[in-house]
Amino acid sequence: MSASSEDLFVRRLADQMRVIAPRLHFLSGKSLQRLRDGAIVPFDFQLSISAGLKTNLVSRSVERFSISYDVWEEKFRVVRLRDFRKSAAGLSAVAAESWCLENLLVPSTGLPADKELWARLDVRTSEPKESAPSSTDSGISIPALIQLLSRPPRPQQDHWTLESASFHLADLKPDVKSDLKSDVKQDVKQ
Amino acid sequence: MDARLHSHVAMKLVLVPLLAVAALFGQSVQPAADTPEPEQATSELNVNSRYTVESVDVNNTRHYRLSTAILDEMHRLIGARLNDDAVKRLANKIRGELRAHDVTFKLLRGGNPESVKVLFEVEKGQSDFDVSIPKFAYNSREGGSGVGEVTGRIGANAFTFAGLSDGDSLAERYSGIQAKYERLSIGSDRVSLGFEFDAYHEQYNQTTLAAIETAVDSSSLGAGAYRSRMNFEPSATFVLAKPLTLTIGFSFEQLQPQLSAAPSESANAVINTLRYHQRWIDSDDTNQELDAGYNLRAATRSLGSDLAYTRHAVNVRYLLMHDHQLIEVTLVGGLIYGRAPLFERFVLGDNTTLRGWDKYDLDPLGGNRMIHGSVTYGYRVVRVFYDTGAVWEQGTAPEAKHSVGVGVSSGLGLFQKGGVLLAVALPIRPGRVEPVFIAGMNF
Repeated sequence: MSASSEDLFVRRLADQMRVIAPRLHFLSGKSLQRLRDGAIVPFDFQLSISAGLKTNLVSRSVERFSISYDVWEEKFRVVRLRDFRKSAAGLSAVAAESWCLENLLVPSTGLPADKELWARLDVRTSEPKESAPSSTDSGISIPALIQLLSRPPRPQQDHWTLESASFHLADLKPDVKSDLKSDVKQDVKQ
Repeated sequence: MDARLHSHVAMKLVLVPLLAVAALFGQSVQPAADTPEPEQATSELNVNSRYTVESVDVNNTRHYRLSTAILDEMHRLIGARLNDDAVKRLANKIRGELRAHDVTFKLLRGGNPESVKVLFEVEKGQSDFDVSIPKFAYNSREGGSGVGEVTGRIGANAFTFAGLSDGDSLAERYSGIQAKYERLSIGSDRVSLGFEFDAYHEQYNQTTLAAIETAVDSSSLGAGAYRSRMNFEPSATFVLAKPLTLTIGFSFEQLQPQLSAAPSESANAVINTLRYHQRWIDSDDTNQELDAGYNLRAATRSLGSDLAYTRHAVNVRYLLMHDHQLIEVTLVGGLIYGRAPLFERFVLGDNTTLRGWDKYDLDPLGGNRMIHGSVTYGYRVVRVFYDTGAVWEQGTAPEAKHSVGVGVSSGLGLFQKGGVLLAVALPIRPGRVEPVFIAGMNF
């Protein structure tokens, strides 16, 4: 599934950037059914920034988020696999989706200030067979995740691609915390 | 059948001897079921891991026969916090064992807010086809015995075709085919029907042939050596009260004598089998299993049988497992009234009874009286066993024989836990003793 440039917005957060995608709802369909059946569903995210040309990739961030659904409380829990210690529980579906995007950051330092920039977001469900080998006790191997995301998604794999309109660094609005975060129970164990 | 099944069976056939040798001479091969894996990491990911598992079920269980190892693992999940890894591993094992297309699990709310129920859902795919080797054994004295089986299921109908060569369980080696149709439920799950056709070719040990020559007219042997045997066996099985079942039916057996000019003989019998099988799993990881059966075959002239006899056989097996230790006690006994053919007579000194003895030394014709007991102690994969028993002819004094053995039993990561046994057995007797090497699975 792809979306238009109106679906992805870039925000600046000190020396990092993040995106918001109000119309992206990846907790749906088969994945949502698996979650409601009590399974863990991992989602792989890639946020990439291009400069000058859309094909000129200058910065990239990849993350795997593992989502589960509490069958009693009917709320979602998200864990960022890279460090395991960052997680949030008691989330609605929309809040869980937003939490993933809030924790997907790409550094803005070193990006050319004078060139047009584009942001692209790729989201896909990770297949169970892909989860095991790339995971370690401390989380997810970044090279393995990049490798997975570099491959075209499989036909049965849910995936979403969103691109932003072109922008300049100087034009970016500072990040404003979404109202959605009010119902988020953060359980960050730093 | 898809290519995956072919390759699966082929892989097993190649790997079994290799892994068996590795298990004998090294410590590196461990059954997959026993291999601990890091669990904490991914278990923490599932928010439901804080709930206690109240029950574990498989959908449509009546159409599946799960091994005791799988059932054990299912029981072990109950009462503990949900372990996502353990549930996924179990789903994989069920998928492998049932040759299912996929096995997924679903968590349902339990009876109280701190518990969940685990329901495995088996997706069998469009063609339900199974290839298996239910029995394979090698004995350094008797040679190899094995059964290869193909089963197809359409709804509650099961079709099985098997090819076998068995030089172990009878006084004769019989090789041939078995074809069986089963209707797994007739209106209710408590009744099933079966129709079986068998055709075997027989081979005899010289000692047995010599004994037949001298004894056929004077002993209780009902027929001489026959070159082939055909059997048609319709039966019905009733679940009297779970886990007690009763099978009743008929066996129409035709024996073709070795001399083609001689007339064939028939052994047509009424058959009855009463079977009880129960398992108990305690919370302290103690498993007990009791398997008991009584089998009656009564050949009567009213069914057009040339031979008339009654054969009674009983068997009891008790298994106690705790942690890594097990004790297994088995008792079998039987008696025959009348003149029964060779395939009905009792034999000891095979791969499961009086291991280490040569069955042709004990009685090349088998006997019409038999009793046998065996005790096995196991610690992890090591097994030590003691067998004792006697086979004799009515009117003669039984002479008890004894044997001991040691071996290893493991699933080798491929089969049901403990499914493969490699053992060396010794008869206890004065004079020179020749050990017997036994290897095989599911016997």
